[in-house]
Amino acid sequence: MNCEQYQELLSDLVDGFGSGEDRNRIESHLSGCVACAEVRDDFVAIAGYCHEHRGEYDAVPNERALWLRISNTIEAENAVRAKESVPSGASSWFRLMNRSWQLSFGQLAVAVAAIVLVVSIATVASMKQLYSGGSNVRTAGPTIGTNNISLDDRYRQQKQAIAYWKDRVELNKARWNPEMRDTFDRNMTVIDTALNDSMKQLTQNPHDPVSEDILNDALNDKVALLKEFADL
Amino acid sequence: MKLFSSATRNWVKSFSVFLLLALTVGAAHLASAQQKVSRHYPAGKNVRLELKNIAGTITVETWARDEIRVTATMDNRKVNFNPRQTDAGLVIDIAADNRGKVDVGDMNFKIELPARSSVDLETRSGQITVSNIQGDLVRAHIWTSGDITLSGINAARVFATNTTGDIYFDGEFSSGGTYEFKSGKGNITLRLPANCGFRLVATAPTKEIKMGPFWHPGMKLVSEGRRITGDVGDGRASVTVTNYQGTINFLRR
Repeated sequence: MNCEQYQELLSDLVDGFGSGEDRNRIESHLSGCVACAEVRDDFVAIAGYCHEHRGEYDAVPNERALWLRISNTIEAENAVRAKESVPSGASSWFRLMNRSWQLSFGQLAVAVAAIVLVVSIATVASMKQLYSGGSNVRTAGPTIGTNNISLDDRYRQQKQAIAYWKDRVELNKARWNPEMRDTFDRNMTVIDTALNDSMKQLTQNPHDPVSEDILNDALNDKVALLKEFADL
Repeated sequence: MKLFSSATRNWVKSFSVFLLLALTVGAAHLASAQQKVSRHYPAGKNVRLELKNIAGTITVETWARDEIRVTATMDNRKVNFNPRQTDAGLVIDIAADNRGKVDVGDMNFKIELPARSSVDLETRSGQITVSNIQGDLVRAHIWTSGDITLSGINAARVFATNTTGDIYFDGEFSSGGTYEFKSGKGNITLRLPANCGFRLVATAPTKEIKMGPFWHPGMKLVSEGRRITGDVGDGRASVTVTNYQGTINFLRR
Protein backbone atom coordinates (compact mmCIF):
# COMPACT_ATOMS: atom_id res chain seq x y z
CA MET A 1 0.00 0.00 0.00
CA ASN A 2 1.20 3.53 -0.70
CA CYS A 3 0.76 6.67 1.42
CA GLU A 4 -2.38 7.72 -0.46
CA GLN A 5 -4.08 4.41 0.33
CA TYR A 6 -3.00 4.59 3.97
CA GLN A 7 -4.34 8.16 4.25
CA GLU A 8 -7.75 6.98 2.98
CA LEU A 9 -7.93 4.62 5.97
CA LEU A 10 -6.83 7.20 8.53
CA SER A 11 -10.30 8.65 9.05
CA ASP A 12 -11.59 5.19 10.10
CA LEU A 13 -8.63 4.76 12.40
CA VAL A 14 -9.31 8.08 14.14
CA ASP A 15 -13.01 7.24 14.46
CA GLY A 16 -12.14 3.89 16.05
CA PHE A 17 -13.30 1.72 13.11
CA GLY A 18 -11.40 -0.89 11.15
CA SER A 19 -10.13 -4.33 12.08
CA GLY A 20 -7.32 -4.89 14.53
CA GLU A 21 -5.10 -6.11 11.72
CA ASP A 22 -5.75 -2.93 9.71
CA ARG A 23 -5.05 -0.78 12.72
CA ASN A 24 -1.74 -2.53 13.39
CA ARG A 25 -0.70 -2.20 9.77
CA ILE A 26 -1.56 1.54 9.69
CA GLU A 27 0.11 2.19 13.05
CA SER A 28 3.30 0.52 11.89
CA HIS A 29 3.26 2.65 8.71
CA LEU A 30 2.64 5.84 10.72
CA SER A 31 5.60 5.14 12.97
CA GLY A 32 7.88 5.39 9.95
CA CYS A 33 6.10 7.98 7.77
CA VAL A 34 6.15 11.61 8.95
CA ALA A 35 3.76 12.82 6.21
CA CYS A 36 1.03 10.30 7.08
CA ALA A 37 1.59 10.88 10.82
CA GLU A 38 0.95 14.60 10.24
CA VAL A 39 -2.28 13.82 8.38
CA ARG A 40 -3.33 11.57 11.30
CA ASP A 41 -2.54 14.43 13.75
CA ASP A 42 -4.69 16.77 11.66
CA PHE A 43 -7.60 14.31 11.75
CA VAL A 44 -7.22 13.89 15.51
CA ALA A 45 -7.16 17.68 16.00
CA ILE A 46 -10.26 18.18 13.82
CA ALA A 47 -12.17 15.35 15.52
CA GLY A 48 -11.15 16.65 18.95
CA TYR A 49 -12.23 20.16 18.11
CA CYS A 50 -15.60 18.98 16.79
CA HIS A 51 -16.22 16.89 19.92
CA GLU A 52 -15.23 19.76 22.19
CA HIS A 53 -17.40 22.31 20.43
CA ARG A 54 -20.38 20.10 19.65
CA GLY A 55 -23.60 22.11 19.71
CA GLU A 56 -21.86 25.49 19.71
CA TYR A 57 -22.32 26.22 16.04
CA ASP A 58 -24.90 28.63 14.75
CA ALA A 59 -28.07 27.06 13.40
CA VAL A 60 -28.78 27.65 9.72
CA PRO A 61 -31.10 30.68 9.55
CA ASN A 62 -33.76 28.87 7.52
CA GLU A 63 -33.15 25.17 7.61
CA ARG A 64 -36.15 24.21 5.52
CA ALA A 65 -35.22 26.65 2.75
CA LEU A 66 -31.71 25.27 2.68
CA TRP A 67 -32.95 21.69 2.32
CA LEU A 68 -35.35 22.74 -0.40
CA ARG A 69 -32.51 24.39 -2.30
CA ILE A 70 -30.39 21.27 -1.97
CA SER A 71 -33.19 18.97 -3.08
CA ASN A 72 -33.99 21.29 -6.01
CA THR A 73 -30.38 21.18 -7.11
CA ILE A 74 -30.31 17.38 -6.90
CA GLU A 75 -33.58 17.10 -8.80
CA ALA A 76 -32.33 19.48 -11.47
CA GLU A 77 -29.22 17.39 -11.93
CA ASN A 78 -31.27 14.19 -12.08
CA ALA A 79 -33.58 15.76 -14.68
CA VAL A 80 -30.62 16.63 -16.89
CA ARG A 81 -29.29 13.11 -16.58
CA ALA A 82 -32.71 11.62 -17.33
CA LYS A 83 -33.14 13.86 -20.37
CA GLU A 84 -29.81 12.74 -21.71
CA SER A 85 -30.87 9.13 -21.51
CA VAL A 86 -34.47 8.89 -22.83
CA PRO A 87 -34.99 5.25 -23.85
CA SER A 88 -36.32 4.52 -27.31
CA GLY A 89 -39.44 2.72 -26.06
CA ALA A 90 -40.39 5.32 -23.46
CA SER A 91 -44.06 6.12 -22.82
CA SER A 92 -45.72 9.36 -24.03
CA TRP A 93 -45.98 10.61 -20.42
CA PHE A 94 -42.25 10.01 -19.98
CA ARG A 95 -41.51 11.87 -23.21
CA LEU A 96 -43.86 14.72 -22.20
CA MET A 97 -42.05 15.13 -18.91
CA ASN A 98 -38.65 15.02 -20.59
CA ARG A 99 -39.30 17.13 -23.66
CA SER A 100 -37.55 20.46 -24.23
CA TRP A 101 -40.15 23.25 -24.16
CA GLN A 102 -40.23 25.63 -27.09
CA LEU A 103 -42.32 28.80 -26.59
CA SER A 104 -43.80 31.14 -29.17
CA PHE A 105 -42.90 34.84 -29.04
CA GLY A 106 -46.22 35.69 -27.32
CA GLN A 107 -45.79 32.96 -24.69
CA LEU A 108 -42.24 34.08 -24.07
CA ALA A 109 -43.31 37.73 -23.63
CA VAL A 110 -46.04 36.75 -21.17
CA ALA A 111 -43.57 34.60 -19.19
CA VAL A 112 -41.00 37.42 -19.02
CA ALA A 113 -43.69 39.94 -17.95
CA ALA A 114 -44.85 37.56 -15.21
CA ILE A 115 -41.30 37.12 -13.92
CA VAL A 116 -40.70 40.90 -13.91
CA LEU A 117 -43.97 41.44 -12.04
CA VAL A 118 -43.18 38.83 -9.37
CA VAL A 119 -39.62 40.13 -8.89
CA SER A 120 -40.87 43.74 -8.61
CA ILE A 121 -43.47 42.84 -6.00
CA ALA A 122 -40.93 40.83 -4.03
CA THR A 123 -38.38 43.68 -4.19
CA VAL A 124 -40.88 46.32 -3.08
CA ALA A 125 -42.05 44.08 -0.24
CA SER A 126 -38.46 43.44 0.86
CA MET A 127 -37.53 47.15 0.73
CA LYS A 128 -40.61 48.05 2.78
CA GLN A 129 -39.71 45.47 5.37
CA LEU A 130 -36.10 46.65 5.40
CA TYR A 131 -36.91 50.32 5.89
CA SER A 132 -39.57 49.59 8.46
CA GLY A 133 -36.84 47.95 10.57
CA GLY A 134 -37.90 44.37 9.92
CA SER A 135 -36.29 42.29 12.63
CA ASN A 136 -35.48 39.29 10.43
CA VAL A 137 -33.82 41.15 7.54
CA ARG A 138 -30.08 40.97 7.26
CA THR A 139 -27.90 42.13 4.38
CA ALA A 140 -25.68 39.50 2.85
CA GLY A 141 -22.50 41.59 2.57
CA PRO A 142 -20.15 42.67 5.32
CA THR A 143 -22.42 44.23 7.90
CA ILE A 144 -20.03 45.12 10.67
CA GLY A 145 -21.11 48.26 12.34
CA THR A 146 -24.67 48.40 11.01
CA ASN A 147 -25.86 47.18 14.37
CA ASN A 148 -24.45 45.42 17.37
CA ILE A 149 -25.96 42.04 16.53
CA SER A 150 -24.30 41.74 13.13
CA LEU A 151 -20.98 42.91 14.53
CA ASP A 152 -21.09 40.30 17.27
CA ASP A 153 -22.23 37.63 14.82
CA ARG A 154 -19.36 38.30 12.49
CA TYR A 155 -16.87 38.42 15.32
CA ARG A 156 -18.21 35.13 16.72
CA GLN A 157 -17.92 33.40 13.35
CA GLN A 158 -14.29 34.46 13.05
CA LYS A 159 -13.68 33.50 16.65
CA GLN A 160 -14.59 29.90 15.85
CA ALA A 161 -11.95 29.81 13.12
CA ILE A 162 -9.47 31.52 15.42
CA ALA A 163 -10.18 29.02 18.21
CA TYR A 164 -9.54 26.12 15.84
CA TRP A 165 -6.20 27.45 14.60
CA LYS A 166 -5.21 28.53 18.10
CA ASP A 167 -5.63 24.94 19.29
CA ARG A 168 -3.41 23.78 16.44
CA VAL A 169 -0.76 26.35 17.36
CA GLU A 170 -0.88 25.40 21.04
CA LEU A 171 -0.30 21.75 20.11
CA ASN A 172 2.99 22.65 18.42
CA LYS A 173 4.07 25.60 20.52
CA ALA A 174 5.92 23.50 23.08
CA ARG A 175 8.35 22.43 20.36
CA TRP A 176 9.30 26.00 19.39
CA ASN A 177 12.38 27.67 20.79
CA PRO A 178 11.74 30.35 23.45
CA GLU A 179 12.65 33.15 21.05
CA MET A 180 10.07 32.03 18.51
CA ARG A 181 7.40 31.69 21.20
CA ASP A 182 8.16 35.18 22.48
CA THR A 183 8.10 36.69 18.98
CA PHE A 184 4.82 35.00 18.15
CA ASP A 185 3.16 36.11 21.40
CA ARG A 186 4.35 39.72 21.04
CA ASN A 187 3.03 39.97 17.51
CA MET A 188 -0.26 38.34 18.40
CA THR A 189 -0.62 41.02 21.07
CA VAL A 190 -0.15 43.72 18.42
CA ILE A 191 -2.99 42.27 16.36
CA ASP A 192 -5.19 41.78 19.42
CA THR A 193 -4.64 45.40 20.41
CA ALA A 194 -5.76 46.54 16.96
CA LEU A 195 -8.81 44.26 17.24
CA ASN A 196 -9.78 45.57 20.67
CA ASP A 197 -9.24 49.21 19.69
CA SER A 198 -11.41 48.90 16.60
CA MET A 199 -14.12 47.05 18.56
CA LYS A 200 -14.11 49.86 21.10
CA GLN A 201 -14.37 52.47 18.35
CA LEU A 202 -17.24 50.59 16.74
CA THR A 203 -19.06 50.44 20.04
CA GLN A 204 -18.89 54.23 20.21
CA ASN A 205 -19.47 54.80 16.51
CA PRO A 206 -21.03 51.77 14.78
CA HIS A 207 -20.72 53.34 11.31
CA ASP A 208 -17.04 54.22 11.42
CA PRO A 209 -15.57 52.89 8.14
CA VAL A 210 -11.96 53.01 9.33
CA SER A 211 -12.68 50.88 12.39
CA GLU A 212 -14.65 48.42 10.25
CA ASP A 213 -11.72 48.04 7.88
CA ILE A 214 -9.18 47.70 10.67
CA LEU A 215 -11.37 45.12 12.41
CA ASN A 216 -11.71 43.05 9.22
CA ASP A 217 -8.00 43.38 8.43
CA ALA A 218 -6.94 42.48 11.96
CA LEU A 219 -9.24 39.44 12.06
CA ASN A 220 -7.86 38.23 8.74
CA ASP A 221 -4.30 38.91 9.90
CA LYS A 222 -4.89 36.95 13.06
CA VAL A 223 -6.26 33.89 11.25
CA ALA A 224 -3.44 34.08 8.69
CA LEU A 225 -0.74 34.31 11.37
CA LEU A 226 -2.22 31.40 13.32
CA LYS A 227 -2.44 29.31 10.14
CA GLU A 228 1.17 30.07 9.26
CA PHE A 229 2.41 29.08 12.70
CA ALA A 230 0.11 26.05 13.06
CA ASP A 231 2.43 24.11 10.74
CA LEU A 232 5.59 24.88 12.69
CA MET B 1 65.07 47.54 37.51
CA LYS B 2 62.02 45.36 37.10
CA LEU B 3 58.64 47.01 37.31
CA PHE B 4 56.72 43.91 38.46
CA SER B 5 57.67 41.03 40.68
CA SER B 6 58.31 37.65 39.08
CA ALA B 7 55.08 36.28 40.62
CA THR B 8 53.05 39.02 38.94
CA ARG B 9 54.84 38.42 35.63
CA ASN B 10 54.08 34.71 35.82
CA TRP B 11 50.47 35.43 36.57
CA VAL B 12 50.19 37.79 33.60
CA LYS B 13 51.86 35.24 31.32
CA SER B 14 49.50 32.47 32.43
CA PHE B 15 46.50 34.69 32.02
CA SER B 16 47.60 35.75 28.50
CA VAL B 17 48.05 32.13 27.42
CA PHE B 18 44.65 31.25 28.86
CA LEU B 19 43.01 34.20 27.09
CA LEU B 20 44.60 33.28 23.76
CA LEU B 21 43.47 29.70 24.15
CA ALA B 22 39.93 30.75 25.04
CA LEU B 23 39.73 33.07 22.03
CA THR B 24 41.02 30.36 19.69
CA VAL B 25 38.53 27.81 21.00
CA GLY B 26 35.70 30.36 20.85
CA ALA B 27 36.47 31.35 17.26
CA ALA B 28 36.75 27.70 16.21
CA HIS B 29 33.41 26.93 17.85
CA LEU B 30 31.76 29.89 16.11
CA ALA B 31 33.20 28.87 12.77
CA SER B 32 32.01 25.30 13.20
CA ALA B 33 28.52 26.39 14.31
CA GLN B 34 27.87 28.62 11.30
CA GLN B 35 27.95 27.46 7.73
CA LYS B 36 28.20 29.64 4.67
CA VAL B 37 27.04 28.38 1.31
CA SER B 38 27.26 30.24 -1.98
CA ARG B 39 25.63 29.10 -5.20
CA HIS B 40 25.28 30.55 -8.70
CA TYR B 41 22.41 30.09 -11.10
CA PRO B 42 22.12 31.24 -14.72
CA ALA B 43 19.34 33.78 -15.27
CA GLY B 44 17.83 35.81 -18.07
CA LYS B 45 17.21 39.53 -17.78
CA ASN B 46 13.69 39.11 -16.40
CA VAL B 47 13.98 36.50 -13.72
CA ARG B 48 11.72 35.82 -10.73
CA LEU B 49 13.07 34.91 -7.34
CA GLU B 50 10.86 33.36 -4.67
CA LEU B 51 12.26 32.94 -1.19
CA LYS B 52 10.40 31.69 1.84
CA ASN B 53 12.63 31.79 4.90
CA ILE B 54 11.86 30.90 8.51
CA ALA B 55 14.06 33.33 10.45
CA GLY B 56 16.98 35.57 9.56
CA THR B 57 17.81 38.48 7.32
CA ILE B 58 17.23 38.67 3.58
CA THR B 59 19.27 41.12 1.53
CA VAL B 60 18.65 41.46 -2.19
CA GLU B 61 20.93 43.52 -4.42
CA THR B 62 21.28 43.88 -8.15
CA TRP B 63 24.32 43.46 -10.36
CA ALA B 64 25.17 43.64 -14.06
CA ARG B 65 25.53 39.87 -14.61
CA ASP B 66 22.89 37.53 -16.06
CA GLU B 67 23.04 35.19 -13.11
CA ILE B 68 21.80 34.85 -9.56
CA ARG B 69 24.20 34.39 -6.66
CA VAL B 70 22.70 33.13 -3.43
CA THR B 71 24.84 33.30 -0.32
CA ALA B 72 23.32 31.71 2.75
CA THR B 73 24.76 31.79 6.23
CA MET B 74 23.07 29.31 8.52
CA ASP B 75 23.22 28.81 12.26
CA ASN B 76 22.34 25.16 12.02
CA ARG B 77 24.50 22.97 9.79
CA LYS B 78 21.73 20.40 9.44
CA VAL B 79 19.33 22.79 7.72
CA ASN B 80 18.13 21.63 4.30
CA PHE B 81 18.78 24.22 1.63
CA ASN B 82 17.62 23.12 -1.81
CA PRO B 83 17.04 26.01 -4.26
CA ARG B 84 14.91 24.88 -7.18
CA GLN B 85 15.27 26.30 -10.66
CA THR B 86 12.01 26.78 -12.57
CA ASP B 87 11.12 28.18 -15.98
CA ALA B 88 10.46 31.54 -14.37
CA GLY B 89 13.53 31.67 -12.14
CA LEU B 90 14.55 30.38 -8.74
CA VAL B 91 12.52 29.12 -5.79
CA ILE B 92 14.00 28.73 -2.31
CA ASP B 93 11.59 27.40 0.30
CA ILE B 94 13.36 26.86 3.60
CA ALA B 95 10.03 26.36 5.37
CA ALA B 96 9.03 23.45 3.12
CA ASP B 97 12.54 21.99 2.93
CA ASN B 98 12.70 21.76 6.72
CA ARG B 99 9.12 20.87 7.61
CA GLY B 100 8.93 19.00 10.90
CA LYS B 101 12.39 20.08 12.08
CA VAL B 102 12.32 21.39 15.61
CA ASP B 103 14.86 24.22 15.53
CA VAL B 104 16.19 25.44 12.22
CA GLY B 105 17.76 28.61 13.63
CA ASP B 106 18.53 31.78 11.74
CA MET B 107 19.37 31.63 8.08
CA ASN B 108 20.70 34.84 6.55
CA PHE B 109 20.53 35.33 2.82
CA LYS B 110 22.34 37.68 0.50
CA ILE B 111 21.10 37.48 -3.05
CA GLU B 112 22.49 39.23 -6.10
CA LEU B 113 20.51 39.19 -9.33
CA PRO B 114 19.80 41.22 -12.52
CA ALA B 115 18.00 44.56 -11.99
CA ARG B 116 15.01 43.59 -14.17
CA SER B 117 14.10 40.76 -11.79
CA SER B 118 10.93 40.26 -9.74
CA VAL B 119 11.33 39.25 -6.13
CA ASP B 120 8.83 37.58 -3.82
CA LEU B 121 10.30 37.36 -0.32
CA GLU B 122 8.76 36.02 2.85
CA THR B 123 10.03 35.18 6.32
CA ARG B 124 8.49 34.47 9.69
CA SER B 125 10.90 36.87 11.36
CA GLY B 126 13.94 38.93 10.38
CA GLN B 127 14.75 41.95 8.26
CA ILE B 128 14.25 42.28 4.54
CA THR B 129 16.33 44.73 2.49
CA VAL B 130 15.88 45.12 -1.26
CA SER B 131 17.82 47.58 -3.42
CA ASN B 132 17.53 48.82 -7.00
CA ILE B 133 15.01 46.31 -8.35
CA GLN B 134 13.44 47.48 -11.63
CA GLY B 135 11.30 44.42 -12.41
CA ASP B 136 7.57 43.80 -12.32
CA LEU B 137 7.09 42.74 -8.68
CA VAL B 138 8.64 43.40 -5.31
CA ARG B 139 6.90 41.61 -2.46
CA ALA B 140 8.33 41.56 1.06
CA HIS B 141 6.28 39.93 3.79
CA ILE B 142 7.36 39.38 7.40
CA TRP B 143 4.85 37.38 9.41
CA THR B 144 6.01 38.75 12.76
CA SER B 145 8.87 41.14 13.59
CA GLY B 146 11.36 42.76 11.25
CA ASP B 147 12.02 45.95 9.32
CA ILE B 148 11.53 46.20 5.58
CA THR B 149 13.76 48.55 3.58
CA LEU B 150 13.11 48.95 -0.12
CA SER B 151 15.36 51.48 -1.86
CA GLY B 152 15.84 52.46 -5.48
CA ILE B 153 12.73 50.51 -6.46
CA ASN B 154 10.96 51.00 -9.78
CA ALA B 155 8.47 48.15 -10.04
CA ALA B 156 4.85 48.00 -11.22
CA ARG B 157 3.70 46.12 -8.12
CA VAL B 158 5.12 46.53 -4.64
CA PHE B 159 3.76 44.88 -1.49
CA ALA B 160 5.47 45.35 1.86
CA THR B 161 3.81 43.97 5.01
CA ASN B 162 4.90 43.07 8.52
CA THR B 163 3.32 42.84 11.96
CA THR B 164 5.98 44.67 13.97
CA GLY B 165 8.72 46.82 12.45
CA ASP B 166 9.32 49.83 10.26
CA ILE B 167 8.76 49.94 6.52
CA TYR B 168 10.84 52.27 4.36
CA PHE B 169 10.26 52.71 0.64
CA ASP B 170 12.40 54.89 -1.58
CA GLY B 171 11.42 54.61 -5.21
CA GLU B 172 9.01 55.52 -7.96
CA PHE B 173 5.40 54.66 -8.63
CA SER B 174 4.69 53.45 -12.18
CA SER B 175 1.59 54.71 -13.92
CA GLY B 176 -1.12 52.05 -13.40
CA GLY B 177 0.95 50.29 -10.75
CA THR B 178 -0.25 48.91 -7.40
CA TYR B 179 1.53 49.65 -4.14
CA GLU B 180 0.57 48.37 -0.71
CA PHE B 181 2.34 48.98 2.57
CA LYS B 182 1.00 47.62 5.83
CA SER B 183 2.40 47.37 9.32
CA GLY B 184 0.78 46.32 12.60
CA LYS B 185 3.14 48.33 14.76
CA GLY B 186 5.85 50.44 13.17
CA ASN B 187 6.48 53.55 11.14
CA ILE B 188 5.93 53.60 7.41
CA THR B 189 8.00 56.08 5.41
CA LEU B 190 7.63 56.62 1.68
CA ARG B 191 10.25 58.73 -0.08
CA LEU B 192 9.04 59.68 -3.53
CA PRO B 193 10.00 61.97 -6.41
CA ALA B 194 8.17 65.29 -6.53
CA ASN B 195 6.42 64.54 -9.82
CA CYS B 196 4.92 61.18 -8.90
CA GLY B 197 1.17 60.59 -9.33
CA PHE B 198 -0.98 58.24 -7.30
CA ARG B 199 -4.41 57.63 -5.79
CA LEU B 200 -3.96 57.29 -2.06
CA VAL B 201 -5.78 55.55 0.76
CA ALA B 202 -3.68 55.99 3.92
CA THR B 203 -5.05 54.68 7.22
CA ALA B 204 -3.53 55.14 10.67
CA PRO B 205 -5.78 54.98 13.75
CA THR B 206 -3.16 57.05 15.59
CA LYS B 207 -4.04 59.91 13.18
CA GLU B 208 -0.34 60.43 12.49
CA ILE B 209 -0.35 60.68 8.72
CA LYS B 210 2.14 63.26 7.52
CA MET B 211 1.67 63.98 3.84
CA GLY B 212 4.48 66.57 3.76
CA PRO B 213 4.81 68.23 0.33
CA PHE B 214 2.23 65.88 -1.18
CA TRP B 215 -0.65 67.35 0.84
CA HIS B 216 -3.18 69.52 -0.99
CA PRO B 217 -6.63 70.83 -0.03
CA GLY B 218 -8.37 68.39 -2.39
CA MET B 219 -7.48 65.50 -0.15
CA LYS B 220 -10.16 64.11 2.11
CA LEU B 221 -9.89 63.39 5.81
CA VAL B 222 -12.04 60.46 6.88
CA SER B 223 -12.99 59.43 10.45
CA GLU B 224 -11.46 62.44 12.16
CA GLY B 225 -8.22 62.21 10.21
CA ARG B 226 -7.57 58.53 10.81
CA ARG B 227 -7.70 58.05 7.05
CA ILE B 228 -6.63 60.31 4.17
CA THR B 229 -7.81 59.70 0.63
CA GLY B 230 -7.21 61.60 -2.57
CA ASP B 231 -5.20 61.94 -5.75
CA VAL B 232 -1.69 63.26 -5.97
CA GLY B 233 -0.57 64.36 -9.45
CA ASP B 234 -2.20 62.32 -12.22
CA GLY B 235 -3.37 59.71 -9.66
CA ARG B 236 -2.58 56.80 -11.97
CA ALA B 237 -0.88 54.52 -9.47
CA SER B 238 -2.91 52.97 -6.66
CA VAL B 239 -1.31 53.33 -3.24
CA THR B 240 -2.67 51.83 -0.01
CA VAL B 241 -0.88 52.44 3.27
CA THR B 242 -2.19 50.95 6.52
CA ASN B 243 -0.73 51.14 9.97
CA TYR B 244 -2.46 49.86 13.13
CA GLN B 245 -0.10 51.55 15.60
CA GLY B 246 2.46 53.96 14.19
CA THR B 247 3.04 56.83 11.81
CA ILE B 248 2.85 57.24 8.06
CA ASN B 249 5.29 59.73 6.53
CA PHE B 250 5.61 60.97 2.98
CA LEU B 251 8.93 62.54 2.04
CA ARG B 252 10.05 64.15 -1.19
CA ARG B 253 13.28 62.97 -2.75
